[in-house]
Amino acid sequence: MSPVPGHGLAKGLAVTLRTMTRRSVTHQYPDAAPHLPPRSRGVIALFEENCTVCMLCARECPDWCIYIDSHKETVPPAAPGGRERSRNVLDRFAIDFALCMYCGICIEVCPFDALFWSPEFEYAETDIRELTHERDKLREWMWTVPTPPALDPGAEEPKEIAAARKTAEKLAAAQETAAQQTETPEGGA
Amino acid sequence: MTETTVGIGGAAEGTDMVLNIGPQHPSTHGVLRLRLILDGERISHAEPVIGYMHRGAEKLFEARDYRQIIMLANRHDWLSAFSNELGVVIAVERMLGMEVPERAVWTRTLLAELNRVLNHLMFLGSYPLELGGITPVFYAFREREELQNILEEVSGGRMHYMFNRVGGLKEDLPNGWLGRAREAVADVRSRMDVFDRLVLGNEIFRGRTRGVGVLTPQTVHAYGVSGPIARASGVDFDLRRDEPYLAYGELQDTLNVATRTEGDCLARFECLLEQTHNSLDLADACLDRIAELPPGPINQRLPKVLKAPEGHTYAWTENPLGINGYYLVSKGDKTPYRLKLRSASYNNIQALTELLPGTLVADMVAILGSMFFVVGDIDK
Repeated sequence: MSPVPGHGLAKGLAVTLRTMTRRSVTHQYPDAAPHLPPRSRGVIALFEENCTVCMLCARECPDWCIYIDSHKETVPPAAPGGRERSRNVLDRFAIDFALCMYCGICIEVCPFDALFWSPEFEYAETDIRELTHERDKLREWMWTVPTPPALDPGAEEPKEIAAARKTAEKLAAAQETAAQQTETPEGGA
Repeated sequence: MTETTVGIGGAAEGTDMVLNIGPQHPSTHGVLRLRLILDGERISHAEPVIGYMHRGAEKLFEARDYRQIIMLANRHDWLSAFSNELGVVIAVERMLGMEVPERAVWTRTLLAELNRVLNHLMFLGSYPLELGGITPVFYAFREREELQNILEEVSGGRMHYMFNRVGGLKEDLPNGWLGRAREAVADVRSRMDVFDRLVLGNEIFRGRTRGVGVLTPQTVHAYGVSGPIARASGVDFDLRRDEPYLAYGELQDTLNVATRTEGDCLARFECLLEQTHNSLDLADACLDRIAELPPGPINQRLPKVLKAPEGHTYAWTENPLGINGYYLVSKGDKTPYRLKLRSASYNNIQALTELLPGTLVADMVAILGSMFFVVGDIDK
């Protein structure tokens, strides 16, 4: 390649020297916590107050690592003379993180927003059984769930906001026509 | 597969030495086993023994719905998860006759190219490592880290992105992500000269790879070798150009298919490097285009139960390591009747039976490393 012997060595040392003058990219992990984006799939948190025991997450899970137990309770009628209702009560909600493949399907299918991703990842255990997080532990993770990031300006409006805006506009339009209607008779009188 | 020699007296006893490389050899990137028959230092017969990591992915596909398949499909080749997902969703979308929003098409193209850079950087770092150069892998991983951060921010995963959905992508890009992606691409490009000059310009590296392990175009055709390895032997075939999918049809000016004619280890490495440069340019072109696109959705509303209509289709994509194809047969259920997976590494590795005989054991590592394979992609 090169006529000068040791040219390759000099080139290599030049790269080394250049890298030496730059700041190191290595983070001293246990001392310096990594910065993780809000979408990071670290651990699944359960907001059990929202869970209706519909079992969708357990059914949709590709490796069936979600365990749910529940029982039915009858609730006395809200108003006198009403019918008594039955309601599902959650007994057990556990996710086996030894089996979990971190795909996020359970979070996606949850119709009541009871499951969330949290970027927390430091839950390695020496005993595999400890990796099955029960409902209290899953509830604890809920405190670490970050707010989702704002979307790109080119993104479509989230459907909740779009629906809210539509209702607000409809309401404003209705108020305006109502105001106009009350104005016209006043003007006439 | 196995040969039996029958002889009388001492004739049955060959003087050949049988040497097992792997399944736990560092140069095999996992659990590939090579059964070599040596004649002194020279390999006279080579047989790749595969299947140590077989997970039955194709059978599992038959018991999973299409969203769950995406999760399984991105795992067989763990270095090109995004491209793997892409093939599945393209197949299902084609069966459904579903139109994907433009914004999703361009974002998919962008992420596929970033995934290609990530994959190639791994091999650009690990190949010199196998040849005894310890340094380049650290530089490769520094660049990988930059791009992985970008992909983690958008998808939440660093390897198994799980970001494709039938009809588009899981969710839209976070605010400011396009700028950060552009920055990362520029940063990586600015430091790619480490591989151009330090690795490719190194006398020892060139000495170990030039003229070693020459793969002929005939062998490429016979074994169905694809990707940068095939292009290094002069087989100029790239699905991105020859059968454009996603937005590649509109990127033909930027797309440059790297080819060589030598077919040796050096040519394979050069192809990989040139393709990495080109992928960074393609990523920039996609970023430009996404910035110009009008606001719009990034996915389609899907029915609660997604069923592909009865029929069959074959969707193939140019994965970082070669052609990755899914043959989807549906009987109209929510799971496929059969989903055949054609993975790049499986075919590429078979050429070793032709490539290795006649070479020295010392060159075996150089050849094996230059075949750029992922064991999960071989065993499926």
